[in-house]
Amino acid sequence: MRPLLLRCSLCCSATVFGSFSASRNKLVTQAAGVPRRFYFRNTMPYQTEERGRPNSPDYRIYFKTSEGKYISPFHDISLVAETEQDNDVPSKKPKKNESEVLFNMVVEVPRWTNAKMETWEDPNLTDKETKCCGDNDPIDVCEIGTQVCSPGQVIQVKVLGILAMIDEGEMDWKVIAINAEDPDAKNLNSIEDVRKSRPGHLEATVDWFRKYKVPDGKPENQFGFNGQFKDKDFALEIIKSTHEHWRALVQKPTNSGGIECKNISCCESPFKCSADEARDVVESQTKPQENKGSLKQIK
Amino acid sequence: MKKGNLRYVANVFPHKGYIWNYGAIPQTWEDPNHKDSDTGCCGDNDPIDICDIGNKVCSQGEIIKVKVLGTLALIDEGETDWKVIVINTEDPEAADFNDIDDVRRLKPGYLEATVDWFKRYKVPDGKPENQFAFNAEFKDRDFAIKTIKSTNEFWKALISKRTNAGELNCMNTSVSDSPFCCSAADADAVVKSARALGEQDPIPSSVDTWFYYEM
Repeated sequence: MRPLLLRCSLCCSATVFGSFSASRNKLVTQAAGVPRRFYFRNTMPYQTEERGRPNSPDYRIYFKTSEGKYISPFHDISLVAETEQDNDVPSKKPKKNESEVLFNMVVEVPRWTNAKMETWEDPNLTDKETKCCGDNDPIDVCEIGTQVCSPGQVIQVKVLGILAMIDEGEMDWKVIAINAEDPDAKNLNSIEDVRKSRPGHLEATVDWFRKYKVPDGKPENQFGFNGQFKDKDFALEIIKSTHEHWRALVQKPTNSGGIECKNISCCESPFKCSADEARDVVESQTKPQENKGSLKQIK
Repeated sequence: MKKGNLRYVANVFPHKGYIWNYGAIPQTWEDPNHKDSDTGCCGDNDPIDICDIGNKVCSQGEIIKVKVLGTLALIDEGETDWKVIVINTEDPEAADFNDIDDVRRLKPGYLEATVDWFKRYKVPDGKPENQFAFNAEFKDRDFAIKTIKSTNEFWKALISKRTNAGELNCMNTSVSDSPFCCSAADADAVVKSARALGEQDPIPSSVDTWFYYEM
């Protein structure tokens, strides 16, 4: 029996973020064929810090670097995962071909759990009128690997394909990916590979997304492309496009739509704040209580 | 455990672990010396198995009261292995469940998933798919109760030593006319001879492995 901390909040699957820092001039790779250059921070392992009472509405997970600086998981973690080789030597050519690009993924909901996490929206602002096509969130990822991750865990994933879900009338892409550390990762390079080696999993995925809100009294969800999964190249285009939207978001002079744009790494962003200011945001939450009664076993 | 090794059931997609609370009815026994007339197979030498379809996830060793709803005639590796479908009497919906048709009606897909689970759960261990009697159809509550009664009779024969127990441990403290009945002190001695509770071992990561295949 394995103890798992039950998180309570509002949910999703996992999301992919983008980030850039113009002041750190390391050209690492050209990701996904985009004409611009991506600049990477030194992506050390991330840590999480819990605040509030688990399973209550005031529960929060905050993210920090290994040096203890608080960061925004939405804005300060790079889109594309850095490789070991990239740390010191700037390279002019991509070290890997496009099909091996790995993205960062922040795990929100571990497999087999039910607690959902509200992600990116400032809980103090409820204005959602600026939503047009997207659902106002980072793009969602379903990671199909074996390892059950923890909420807040940041892993590197290979993109395999994408599903065009229309959730309550809004476009809500679901990227299908696998943890780069998964023993099966090297065998999975396309959505076809998933179909062949995991018969039924993609069908179960569509079924899950179609029905998951029905118990809440909402209708079944619809899908674009007749519920067919699009391939990796298509997925990468969508990720690229949502990355561009994000760049526009963090560079906008005024915040609208209730998205928290504070970050510590996007230098051109009017929302950039200092590490101290970031710490103040976190300190304004209460510390988590002692965990004595809060571990529950899930079978 | 079998042959000294701790066993974990495989995850055969889409099922993770066991899909009900799984247990046994006490004072029952599927006699390996008896060939069941419905399955054509001998018993598996164990108490009769139950699948509790209630919502609550129970703990190992928990004793609960259940309502019988029906039964599935599994032939597991050539042995009769009835699976009685029940619901925990404490379940908030227990009053709505009185027979197997109620399960069909109120939990559509659950009985089909149950057949699927039992058919395939040993395939990852390299064993063939299991068979069923009655075309894998569930028999109703009355049939299930008859089956339970019959396995209770086998147990009575076992505990009174009218049937050969083989390697089964028949020690008990409450069946006073059983030759295997022992004293409380004897029972204490058995428990004390086991190692004291210690730190739990880690669960192997293989329990997270998924097996996929098409029938």
